Amino acid sequence: MNIFLIAAILMAVFISIAILRIILGPTTPDRVVGLDTTNMMVIATMILLGAAYDSVILIDVAIVYAILAFVATLYISKYLEDEA
Amino acid sequence: MELELLMHGIVLALIIITAYLSLTLEDILASVISFAAMSLLLALEFYMLQAPDVAMAEAAIGAGLTTAIFILAIKKTERWDV
Repeated sequence: MNIFLIAAILMAVFISIAILRIILGPTTPDRVVGLDTTNMMVIATMILLGAAYDSVILIDVAIVYAILAFVATLYISKYLEDEA
Repeated sequence: MELELLMHGIVLALIIITAYLSLTLEDILASVISFAAMSLLLALEFYMLQAPDVAMAEAAIGAGLTTAIFILAIKKTERWDV
């Protein structure tokens, strides 16, 4: 019984709730916020899984992803700003 | 072991949902957002299958590069699917 794995499964349930906002979201900004929330929770899940598998190398993926998720959200937001 | 299977099941179901969504949405920008979520979850699945290098490449290409290039393409063309 790994406590970090249980926490990761709990985070996966929360990710499903954030995906629900991407599915339903009537406007595009709703979907962008849903995607950003999903990004951050996936980073947290990656770190929890790195602790569950007891491996240091797996944490580097989360660091790379934390930078790139920001860039992707910024691109979509700049597009929405130009259009408005 | 059952806990890992449960985790795989949740992530794979979410991948199917977001892939279906990115094909069916009328708004192409919303479709790109759904595609970004799909590649993000795919990176998480690669990560859980103990392939961190593949997960890193998928994250870099799927989240950063593909989203940026699709947004540039939408900017030059139409946003709404007709």
